[in-house]
Amino acid sequence: MSHTHAADLQIDSAMTLNQVGVGCDVRISQLSGPGCDRLRDLGFCEQLLVRKLSAGRNLICSLCGTRLAISRELAEQVVVSPMA
Amino acid sequence: MQGSSEFPPTIALIGNPNSGKTTVFNALTGSNQKVGNYSGVTVEVKSGQMFTPHGKKLHVLDLPGCYSLRAPSLDEKVAVDALKGEIPGYAKPDMVVCVVDASNLERHLQLALQIIELGIPTVLVLNMVDMAEKSGLRLDPAKLSEELGVPVVPMQANAGKGIIELKQALRFPFPPTPAVAWAAENLENSRRALITRLCELAARRPDAHQLTLSDQLDNWLLHPVYGWIAFLGIMFSVFWGIFSFARIPMGWIEAGQGVIANWVVAHMADGDLRSLLVDGVLGGMGGVVVFLPQIVLLFLFIGLLESSGYMARAAFLMDGVMAKAGLSGKAFLPLFSSYACAIPGVLATRTIDSAKERLVTIFVAPWMSCSARLPVYFLIVPLLLHENEGSWKQAMILFAIYALGTTSAFGVARLLRAKLGPDTGATHFLLELPPYHAPQWSYILRHVGERAWSFVAQAGTIILGLSILLWALGTYPKSGGTKDEMLAHSAVGRIGSVIEPAVKPLGFDGRVGTAILTSFAAREVFNSSMAVLFRVDEAESDEKTRSLLRDRLAAAKRSDGTPLFTPLSLISLLVFYIYALQCLPTSAVVARETGSWKWAFRQFIFMSGFAYIASLIVYQGGKLLGFS
Repeated sequence: MSHTHAADLQIDSAMTLNQVGVGCDVRISQLSGPGCDRLRDLGFCEQLLVRKLSAGRNLICSLCGTRLAISRELAEQVVVSPMA
Repeated sequence: MQGSSEFPPTIALIGNPNSGKTTVFNALTGSNQKVGNYSGVTVEVKSGQMFTPHGKKLHVLDLPGCYSLRAPSLDEKVAVDALKGEIPGYAKPDMVVCVVDASNLERHLQLALQIIELGIPTVLVLNMVDMAEKSGLRLDPAKLSEELGVPVVPMQANAGKGIIELKQALRFPFPPTPAVAWAAENLENSRRALITRLCELAARRPDAHQLTLSDQLDNWLLHPVYGWIAFLGIMFSVFWGIFSFARIPMGWIEAGQGVIANWVVAHMADGDLRSLLVDGVLGGMGGVVVFLPQIVLLFLFIGLLESSGYMARAAFLMDGVMAKAGLSGKAFLPLFSSYACAIPGVLATRTIDSAKERLVTIFVAPWMSCSARLPVYFLIVPLLLHENEGSWKQAMILFAIYALGTTSAFGVARLLRAKLGPDTGATHFLLELPPYHAPQWSYILRHVGERAWSFVAQAGTIILGLSILLWALGTYPKSGGTKDEMLAHSAVGRIGSVIEPAVKPLGFDGRVGTAILTSFAAREVFNSSMAVLFRVDEAESDEKTRSLLRDRLAAAKRSDGTPLFTPLSLISLLVFYIYALQCLPTSAVVARETGSWKWAFRQFIFMSGFAYIASLIVYQGGKLLGFS
């Protein structure tokens, strides 16, 4: 798993979890869309750090030490920004 | 609200899935618990009893795991209803014990805050503190308790640490309802802010993201290539293990039955009573109880896969495959469990968020060949082979049987899913992948024990009753002449001749038709019925009895003198058993879970009709093609 530096992500600061490269650590900046209540219940909340572990049909990310698999549609609703 | 002396106060355990809630429940209640299924309402809440350090009796409820009180999925709704006291038969909880995973406070406190907001006295349990501390998290339960206004108990429930402290916290009378200090106009934001502050104060996390052992394992087990190899390897080992390990205890059961039958024959005079005991009771139940080891092993392996955390990975891998059938990865566990028994499979569909996907999963679950069909397959498959043919051929046929049932289930699921249309609300695939850990043996063994007991209980009630009834129908009214003439004259012979026209196009005669009819209560009755109907005398061991029955079946003739069982009629019989829904308890559970008998009835008609037509096509089509 490659570890991309935050500096590489600075170019586009607002992107969705789908657009993040595998292995990147990012901060959740906003949730928007019909699935955001469910995402909040699972722990996807603003300001939390998340690491994307794999991409694909469903992507796996690590959030506060827990691995979660979410669909691409849900990941599209998670807006993230590079870690400050 | 608090319990009077007559009714013990009720405490409810709630928490996110994978927070170790059931472990806490087991530690509190010991073996003093039962799973309640109340007909009419969809509920599966475990209840048990415990005593406080002062000897006060408390009633404990274990609610299904949930992420929030918003409750989009059915098992979450059950938990919310139970908290509100809206489930008939259960009192409104006087106190809530909210179990959270100490390493995941950022996520799990979300639910804890919602529960404190309900105004019920709450105790917060920080479970698995050992894991949290190992990962470098510095916890401060006292600070947390001060901020939230509720008692906080650190625990390591799987090692029994912290149980005394928790019992102390449940001292009666319960602490007063805490004031909600974070109440604000935008509750969501203020909760969020509080959780962030609490985690900074009381659960400081080391900054660096650590690659845990589970992460490393997942790199392999969820890999697009190696992950699938591991998945197929594990599934193959499970099935291979079931069939090869079960053989040893099956031999013991058979030997035991032989000893009992011999003892009865040696100690009783020949007559109707001996015939009832040997042919009816022992012959009927023996053919079914012998499959207990396989059922126990299947539940054991499924329990191991679930408890170790692999089942969630399997669901993740299978999501793409399930999508082809219009289902999601969440349908994998219910369908896989249905290989053991459709009933836990149907119950497991509650975790599926989409109502339509859940309905489709319930509808096709009985086509995943359940363990009750195994006795029938094991009786028929060897008849298809010659004596000296290797067991690998038998394994291939069994594999084909499972594959046929499964692919048909997926095909029907796809059609039905398309017919029902898209979901009204948005539902998405979301799955927590818990860390891998050593299986909790006590929990698995208890679950396996419950299942084994319910199987034995069924053999002792329904199957015993039907065996005796069949024996009586096959014995009376009595007449002279040979055994075959006596049977033809008996009630069974007459019923058989009525059924015969309906089953003849499938390649069966009246006796097989009668056995099929009796097996609509439970499939495994087929074996007992065949043993009773074909009058197989109990031999010294059950294996011999079964081979006697096989010899008898192989030699059985139709009224026109041709052999009754040809390869074609045997395949037709197998196909019938793959598809027919012959299990009253499953229909009852489907009716309860779907909320109406309509779906259970449709499923029964569809599957039984499909079985009849498929069997008809196999037999008549095969004959047209020149097979015999």
